[in-house]
Amino acid sequence: MEKLILKNITKYFGGFRAVNNVSMEIEPGELYSFLGPSGCGKTTLLRMIAGFETPSSGKIFLGKNEITSLPPYKRQVNTIFQNYSLFPHKTVSENVAFGLQIKKIPKVEIQEQVMEMLKLVKMESEKNKYPSMISGGQKQRVAIARALINKPQLLLLDEPLAALDLKLRQHMLIELMNIHDMVGITFIYVTHDQGEAISISDRVAVMNEGEVVQEGPPEEIYEKPNSIFSAYFIGDTNLITGEVLDVKDEYVELKCKGSDNFYFEIDSAYHFIPNVGDKVTVSLRPEKIAISRNEPKRKDYFNIVPGIVEDILYLGTHTQYIVKVGDLKFRVFSQHKKVYVDEKELDWEEEVFLFWHDTDSYLINEVREEMLPVKNHEIPL
Amino acid sequence: MIDRTLEKIEEKRKNRLSWILAAPVLLWLVILFLIPYLIVIIYSFLTPTIYDIQFAFSLESFKRLVDPIYLRSFYISFRLAVVTTIACIFLGYPVAYYIARKTEKVKNILLLLIIIPFWTNFIIRIFAWRIFISANGLLNELLMFAGIIDDPLRILRTDLAVTMVMIYVYLPYMILPLYANIEKIDFTLIEAAMDLGANRLKSFLKVTLPLSKEGIFAGSILVFIPALGAYIIPQLVGNQDYLYVGQIIAYKIKSIPRNWPLASALSLGLLVLVIVMLILLYWFYKRVIKKENKLFFNEK
Ligand SMILES: Nc1ncnc2c1ncn2[C@@H]1O[C@H](COP(=O)(O)OP(=O)(O)OP(=O)(O)O)[C@@H](O)[C@H]1O
Ligand SMILES: [Mg+2]
Repeated sequence: MEKLILKNITKYFGGFRAVNNVSMEIEPGELYSFLGPSGCGKTTLLRMIAGFETPSSGKIFLGKNEITSLPPYKRQVNTIFQNYSLFPHKTVSENVAFGLQIKKIPKVEIQEQVMEMLKLVKMESEKNKYPSMISGGQKQRVAIARALINKPQLLLLDEPLAALDLKLRQHMLIELMNIHDMVGITFIYVTHDQGEAISISDRVAVMNEGEVVQEGPPEEIYEKPNSIFSAYFIGDTNLITGEVLDVKDEYVELKCKGSDNFYFEIDSAYHFIPNVGDKVTVSLRPEKIAISRNEPKRKDYFNIVPGIVEDILYLGTHTQYIVKVGDLKFRVFSQHKKVYVDEKELDWEEEVFLFWHDTDSYLINEVREEMLPVKNHEIPL
Repeated sequence: MIDRTLEKIEEKRKNRLSWILAAPVLLWLVILFLIPYLIVIIYSFLTPTIYDIQFAFSLESFKRLVDPIYLRSFYISFRLAVVTTIACIFLGYPVAYYIARKTEKVKNILLLLIIIPFWTNFIIRIFAWRIFISANGLLNELLMFAGIIDDPLRILRTDLAVTMVMIYVYLPYMILPLYANIEKIDFTLIEAAMDLGANRLKSFLKVTLPLSKEGIFAGSILVFIPALGAYIIPQLVGNQDYLYVGQIIAYKIKSIPRNWPLASALSLGLLVLVIVMLILLYWFYKRVIKKENKLFFNEK
């Protein structure tokens, strides 16, 4: 198997730059995701890898071979299209057989391989049906079988689950991971759903406005966002802007407008070390903040701030609190660990303490003047 | 069980509704299509007189159909219809495909261009062709000016002239249904085919073409049927050595001595040819195009 290498890929549509100077190396067998909001150039990038678009500049290599301007039918790359694009005039098995038929492989052999692929995606019983007669999830499986039968070096999946309902999406996600484990080829997975990307990928490239903002394993992207965009786009977060007051013994003291000062531990191994006077942003995930009406002991927590509960939203697995601290608003998730809580539930307008460890937040070397809007919370099921 | 019964009642209700909605059109078809055809069938079994008919049973008209003169006319009419249809498919397909892939605005302009000739009277357009291809017409002038020929070509009153004008007149009837069909094809299917290893030609043959067969079918019917009964075009630009079936029918109806039963039998002959052609076309689409796909998993 071969490594996929993109070198300084840029793509213009007329005067519009859809992809801007993207370079990446995707290892053989990896499950790699492009994650980004709608219109950020994910599909365009994928189509250049598949051969449907040619980059305006830059080069694409599969192993040692340059494939930048090779037509799609000469690349060992197959695509799962967003709407599956099954041939409506062919049955399930004829769809799957298509690639091998083109290669003029003996009929008996094709039949064998088609059955094998259909078994892999659990679609043997539907083999004589037409695409219009099967469900969305089943179409998805057929599309996967149709692509994998060609034994590609790379399988490209463009938002493959977008058309499915939530339950099926979760199911197919696991199935996709299983198939990836079984066939062992490189998958490139395009999605604007951060949950999908985080749960499925070996590595994620976060994209915005045609550029790769951050690249890395999901944990790293989630825990150590390198930019406000990464932090904000993936998961929920509280972004606190402030000025560095003091940098001492790997601790940073941050002065925020309209609130107490905060402390953050920084480790030179994976943080950038700010200078006194720098303007920075801190990303603090809502689930890392503890909330209580009783003040915790100072020695246990570095950061303890008093606040007032402004909003409470029960979400099944957890409750979301919006807490006003000075001029700032914090979003806090509190997991429901016990069915019966001895303590009385927190109330609206109640005075509470928020506290978190000094290692629970992450420093971002970037500030944004305007406040980012509060994201609509996705209700987990 | 109960579900089945309810389903049936529902089905019946729907059927009744669709009958009511279809009734006016059905009535129209019966009065203006079925009954006239029955009259034609009856006439074909009657005895001709110089002016009209005599109500006496006769098979004479059908016997005369196999006369070599008429067989030859059937042959040239059939040949003209086939050539026109095939030429319209080959000329119309690229045009329809081209229009179908344009943006909405360009599509409308191009479709308008296809339809514009309909705004001019059919006969006037054919007379325009007569002038265009006549011995001292524009076409010959241009060819001579370009030095391709020295003396004017005889184009008017040849089979070539008939074929050219037929194609010109019937091309829109091929392009429009083809366009309507091709426009509905999901073009990502072609990308999918190329993704799976098919080059442009193969993805066209294996995906685009099978998916546009309904359009080709509809267009072929729209062109073939009127082309088979061609009358006015051969009359105005065709050669005078032989007659197309449409011309014979016209003569037998209007010129004395009249022979309405023979005219009726001739048009029934055309009807048989149309039916034969439809069966052939149907067989072609079912067998030839389907066969290629049906190589696999035929067991039910
Ligand atoms: N053929 C094209 N011509 C002109 N502009 C295009 C073309 N294809 C894409 N674009 C533009 O390029 C940008 C990126 O498009 P792309 O389809 O790659 O986005 P995406 O990240 O896949 O978005 P989504 O999540 O909505 O699918 C968009 O602004 C789009 O309008
Ligand atoms: Mg896209």
